[in-house]
Amino acid sequence: MSDTVQLPRWIDVGALPLLNLLLALIVSGLVVLAIGESPTQVVEILLYGAFGYEEAWGYTLYYTTNFIFTGLAFAVAFHCGLFNIGAEGQAYVGGLGVVLAALYLDFLPFPIMLIVAILAAAVFGAAWAYIPAYLQARRGSHVVITTIMFNFIASSLMVYLLVNVLRPQGSMTPESEQIAEHLRLPFIHDIAAGLGLEMASSPLNLSFVYALVCSVLVWLFIWHTRWGYAIRTVGANAVAATYAGIEPGRYIIMAMMISGALSAFMALNEVMGVQHRLLIDFTAGYGFVGIAVALMGRNHPFGIFLAALLFGMLYQGGAELSFEIPTISNDMVVVIQGLVILFTGAMEHMFRPRVTRIYTAWHLRRRAQEAA
Amino acid sequence: MDNFELVILLLDATLRTSTPLILAALAGMFSERSGTINLALEGMMLGGAFSAAAVAYYVGNPWIGLLAAIGTTICLSLLHGFACITHKGNQVVSGMAINILMSGLTALVGIALFAQGGKTPSLDHGSRFQPITLPGADAVADVPVLGSIYSELLSGHNILVYVAFLAVPAAWWVMYRTRFGLRLRAVGENPGAVDTAGIGVVAMRYRAVMCSGVLVGMSGAYLSTAQGASFLQDMTAGKGYIALAAMVFGKWRPFPALFACLLFGFLDAAATRMQGVILPGIGEVPVQLVQALPYVLTVVLLAGFIGRATPPKSLGRPYVKER
Amino acid sequence: MNCKQVFSIIAVLAVSLPVTVFAVRASEIAPAVVYSTGGKFDGSFNQSAFEGADRFKQETGIDYREFELRNDTQSEQAIRNFAREGRDPIIVIGFQQATSLAKVAPEFPDTRFAIVDMVVDQPNVQSVVFREHEGTYLVGMLAAMASDTGTIGVVGGMDIPLIRRMTCGYALGALQAVSGIKVLENMTGTTGAAWNDPARGAELATTQIGLGADVVLQLAGGTGIGVLQAAADAGKLGIGSDANQNGLHPGSVLTSMVKHVDVAVFDAFEAARNGGWKPGIRSLGLAEGGIDWAFDDFNRDLITPAMKDAADAARNDIIDGRITVHDYMQDGTCPR
Repeated sequence: MSDTVQLPRWIDVGALPLLNLLLALIVSGLVVLAIGESPTQVVEILLYGAFGYEEAWGYTLYYTTNFIFTGLAFAVAFHCGLFNIGAEGQAYVGGLGVVLAALYLDFLPFPIMLIVAILAAAVFGAAWAYIPAYLQARRGSHVVITTIMFNFIASSLMVYLLVNVLRPQGSMTPESEQIAEHLRLPFIHDIAAGLGLEMASSPLNLSFVYALVCSVLVWLFIWHTRWGYAIRTVGANAVAATYAGIEPGRYIIMAMMISGALSAFMALNEVMGVQHRLLIDFTAGYGFVGIAVALMGRNHPFGIFLAALLFGMLYQGGAELSFEIPTISNDMVVVIQGLVILFTGAMEHMFRPRVTRIYTAWHLRRRAQEAA
Repeated sequence: MDNFELVILLLDATLRTSTPLILAALAGMFSERSGTINLALEGMMLGGAFSAAAVAYYVGNPWIGLLAAIGTTICLSLLHGFACITHKGNQVVSGMAINILMSGLTALVGIALFAQGGKTPSLDHGSRFQPITLPGADAVADVPVLGSIYSELLSGHNILVYVAFLAVPAAWWVMYRTRFGLRLRAVGENPGAVDTAGIGVVAMRYRAVMCSGVLVGMSGAYLSTAQGASFLQDMTAGKGYIALAAMVFGKWRPFPALFACLLFGFLDAAATRMQGVILPGIGEVPVQLVQALPYVLTVVLLAGFIGRATPPKSLGRPYVKER
Repeated sequence: MNCKQVFSIIAVLAVSLPVTVFAVRASEIAPAVVYSTGGKFDGSFNQSAFEGADRFKQETGIDYREFELRNDTQSEQAIRNFAREGRDPIIVIGFQQATSLAKVAPEFPDTRFAIVDMVVDQPNVQSVVFREHEGTYLVGMLAAMASDTGTIGVVGGMDIPLIRRMTCGYALGALQAVSGIKVLENMTGTTGAAWNDPARGAELATTQIGLGADVVLQLAGGTGIGVLQAAADAGKLGIGSDANQNGLHPGSVLTSMVKHVDVAVFDAFEAARNGGWKPGIRSLGLAEGGIDWAFDDFNRDLITPAMKDAADAARNDIIDGRITVHDYMQDGTCPR
């Protein structure tokens, strides 16, 4: 069909992803049925666990914070045509930056430490992303493979540091010392208490606000700056970008380093906000979820926020699930995650031809009616 | 003698640890030479390991477990193909999705079936692949050096180890000496030309990912029914990615990939034994350094500092028929 | 997939939105257990805790809630969730959870907590620790006496003082029984994964067997399953730890160093029920029946009367204080 009509925006960025998401959830429901549990009960518990009481909200938004950061990270690289699968490693190394700053500069007052910690996370995360970025830009080594490798290298490096360097004497677990009390990110419920509001205690902390700020900044950067434009041009077509006088390598490196820094901000939430120490594997797969979040959110900060909220809900509700139904563990959430990535990411084009056909038919008929 | 014995033991362990890598790396090779990136090796291996252990437990026969594993991984390959070949979805994303999906699904089904926290029950002797003593191994065991190499190193492995090593020349033969192999490589390099010659690119790529499924299924079965005696949650522990690295390190070719797997297997075997060992003159080598070495080496290779790894030209690109 | 099906599913989702409230049923006590990452079917430490909780349920009819960690970061949330639900007492298993408990316990001063294998110094926490070195001393003696090759092995999980203390007891016991015996030691890893990696455990055991060991003790939780498997596959002897693992490979497990986590869990629940619960440290060893070596039908043929007599004599000596097994955790050394 030569005269297919361009899909309107609300179908392209709204209806199609929702259709894919719906399919993913339906298949998840079938999985639940297959293992002999009731999908409606699962949904009930998930929703109750995620939003049913005050702390649940806190936990949901706390997970959301992580996903906003890793989702933004993936999106920025994606706009440049790059698959940054290395958010895990970048966040892990970023955590090192945060904890080193907090442990060795513990004389700093909190407001200064906040800035130092943000910078430390950004520098460490960006540095870890720099090598794969450089290799992609200058030596043509595929960033997918190198970032995967760098996740493993980061993991080994951090285990070494935690076991041999950061672990306090005589401690049984490989984890760093605790960050001093006055240097921790304040919990939202503490801030609320300061304002005279009573809120249930939850791990939600100031980094959530910072995540929202970053969302706005990323939006400004990608769509309203020269660099953002250049990054998108390289992502759309690197060859054409070269003809337009944009040197792709430079922007590949820039996008990857910003991506690495954004991943690393996850450590602000985890290390400085919640755990208050560096733990083995504190990234717990949040970096990979970021891929799903960004794809579902169509790589737009607002979409990413919504998708991050969905995954935050799944995570918190999922924790509740494993408390309530023993046969369903957190793994159910992992399965849903996988299905969401599969349907909204890998099979994103599945419905497109059909939807385009239906829409075109409808559109043509309407035009014919108008003409008549 | 003691040192010789140590070396033999270490090499013996190398064979055991590199077996799943070899099978998975060959699997990756078949898929990628045809133009389909296969990051899903990790998840497929996990799926294969689970099916093998679960079925072997129910029927008490490792061979049927192996078939179940291969069946599972072929299904996953078809899913990967459905997303990437039919619907031209992103191959990297599809691979990641399958990895995440299988990490959760195997545990979920495991808990539902066996209620043991995602593990499968331990398999008894009859449900596992048992070591095979090569003919004459006992007789020559006392012959110095050669005898112990034969009886300790070469003999006494389970069938899948031998299969893995035989799969390498077999894969080479298929890839370079058959028409199927020629076409497979061609769709990975220049699908347009293959299409012009009247060969279906889509069908060819599907066949390639199915070959991939068969091989990776065996590697999964090896983990849970030959090397181990049950399935455990996330038991692959990154082996799929190491295999991927080995494939890249081996420049998408069977024999170099074999050597990469042996090297990585050796490093793993050595790392396990070097926990807290103090080497004369060097001091204690951080185990983590040895563990990270395969990844570092692969990155260095990719960066073009030791040779050059060139992927198939159309790797990662869905084929869109010219009109 | 047609539209009708999609709609019916949406309808089901919408109807189920009004959510029921889950509340703890009022009963005398509402206990909970948080297992460590090995999971309650690790055939070892956590399983023993599970058995204790289960026995309590059978005997008193009081149900309990449980949670298995998938990674150590979940520990804090799990403990806090139970506490928030009003669970009391809450028992956490494994030293890995100490930091989390130390953080959560002060937030719920009226909730009673207990932790196994580590000391958490809080007014509402009972810390149950075991003198495992007394047990490994006995199984070390048995291993040395059962060995034909003059070499025995031990595979530990992580290289931490807790495991060092046990390997030290093992070596001392072995040397006591057979002077000059060679004891091979390997640790599995440096992270939590080291407790749940049977393939690596099997690798290490195979190496030790290759180096001449014919009895191998596992001190590695879930990893140890691989150690015992490898020993059985090779026709050698394994020694279990934590739970009684004699039955895993009958005839191939010499004995087990039993650590009665089940007793610790049961006692903590029972004490909470009858009002006798006390915070502070509970140290359990041979004398208290918290530690023992397993002798049952599975290994009756492996233990000669001479071996049994020697082990029983040493056991009595330790209980009476005539033998003091050196505790590695006191000074960080193991004088051999």
